[in-house]
Amino acid sequence: MRASFVLSEIGIGLRRNLTMTVAVVVTVAISLALFGAGLLIREQVGTMKDYWYDKVEVSVYLCGSGSTSSNCNGTAITPEQRTQLENDLRTTPLVQRVFYESKQDAYARFKQQFKDSPDLVQNVTPDALPESFRVKLKDPTQFEVVASAFRDRPGVDEVQDQKALLQNFFKLLNTLQLFALIVAGVQIFAAVLLISNTIRVAAFSRRRETGIMRLVGASNLYIQLPFLLEGVLAGLVGAGFASGALVALKAVLIDRLLKPNFPITAYVGWNAVLSIVPLLFLTGMLLSGLASFFTLRRHLRV
Amino acid sequence: MIRLENVTKTYPASVRPALDDVTVDIEKGEFVFLVGSSGSGKSTFLRLLLKEEVPSGGRVHVAGKDLARLSHWKVPALRRTIGCVFQDFRLLPNKTVFQNVAFALEVIGKGSATIDKVVPEVLDLVGLDGKAGRMPDELSGGEQQRVAVARAFVNRPMILIADEPTGNLDPNTSVGIMKLLDRINRTGTTVVMATHDAAIVDSMRRRVVELSQGKVVRDQARGVYGYGA
Repeated sequence: MRASFVLSEIGIGLRRNLTMTVAVVVTVAISLALFGAGLLIREQVGTMKDYWYDKVEVSVYLCGSGSTSSNCNGTAITPEQRTQLENDLRTTPLVQRVFYESKQDAYARFKQQFKDSPDLVQNVTPDALPESFRVKLKDPTQFEVVASAFRDRPGVDEVQDQKALLQNFFKLLNTLQLFALIVAGVQIFAAVLLISNTIRVAAFSRRRETGIMRLVGASNLYIQLPFLLEGVLAGLVGAGFASGALVALKAVLIDRLLKPNFPITAYVGWNAVLSIVPLLFLTGMLLSGLASFFTLRRHLRV
Repeated sequence: MIRLENVTKTYPASVRPALDDVTVDIEKGEFVFLVGSSGSGKSTFLRLLLKEEVPSGGRVHVAGKDLARLSHWKVPALRRTIGCVFQDFRLLPNKTVFQNVAFALEVIGKGSATIDKVVPEVLDLVGLDGKAGRMPDELSGGEQQRVAVARAFVNRPMILIADEPTGNLDPNTSVGIMKLLDRINRTGTTVVMATHDAAIVDSMRRRVVELSQGKVVRDQARGVYGYGA
């Protein structure tokens, strides 16, 4: 195998077919960029879950004199019930930490939370807020087990999972990811067709050369390799652009825009981007390589 | 060197077979003319030798190999033992004479040292020394065909197949090409040439195999083109 021969054939082929090659590169770049973005969103959801699930707690609200739920019957929890409940919570194996929030604590937190709305704060007294146990679970997904064990206990008004509030947001992100992946899939399909067509045109425009190669006994590999590498090269260049787009997405959208303006959550780090980039190159290579390979088998037989 | 045993070839689209129960035996070093009108099966005959087609019936042996039992990936090796020349030269217009001949070696993986040594030798043999740097469109038809012969012969094949090599050339130029093929034949290369050119066949006085409607109707040791001649 003479590398210089194969390389010069690739060069000739790419130049002769420049417009088609550009189309392939662009399509592959767009499809892989979307694919990468979809993966990045998934990483982001994972990062946020790690970040938030570490912080979310289960709130066990206790009955106050004004509680309306049937479990309370309009009477406040007695100190004995409260002590019993706290002890039971502490001895539940799933529970990591229990923290008691009195009405005063709740009021202080409320004031802090709504310090920008003094009207609201003025209308609320500490007595109007429920006391609660803030329970940190070892595994935040085990909420239902804890909730069902304590929901009907005397003096318990309501068991609330803060995680549920995050679910909607994660659902939105997951939909976004799904959408990106579907569009990426459609684009990849188009890219495969385009690569296949490009290789077919390339094979046709060089049928003189390949015809002579066949006659003088060039092996299949020798005849097909330049075409195959042409496709793979276009795929890799496309993957390069897609990786660039992903890096820009991380650097500009996440680091420059989202991070300073929405510091409430954690964002994916560079290592997530670095783990996706090789995947894009691999996908680009396999995509174009396989598309070329099967096209060649149909159109360049010995 | 070449043996066809009861070979029949029917193309899917046609009713009449292109070759019908053909048996021909060609020895090493022979020079054989394949004659017959258009559609008589000459081209099919030649394509079978290259395994570009497979027979519908019968056996084809080339260079000691039964082509029916030759696996797909060994076909290139078979074709390296056979050189081919065509009526339309089939040169690459964007390559020089030297590059055209070198191409045949490059694509079978020969190194540049071999190429630089062998190509000038074969160009010398076909009478094109000094024209290595020309482009095909700067050459006459006869010269272009010499390039094609050089390309077919540069790998020193055991068999040279020529499909109407003089079909596009005037009689004087044709004589030159025939002399060249004769010289190649004298190096021990088996030559099979399909032709319509009666004058050439008559003047060479070599073996003639005549095909008509896919059947061998004549196989003469020192034949002429037609019965009347």
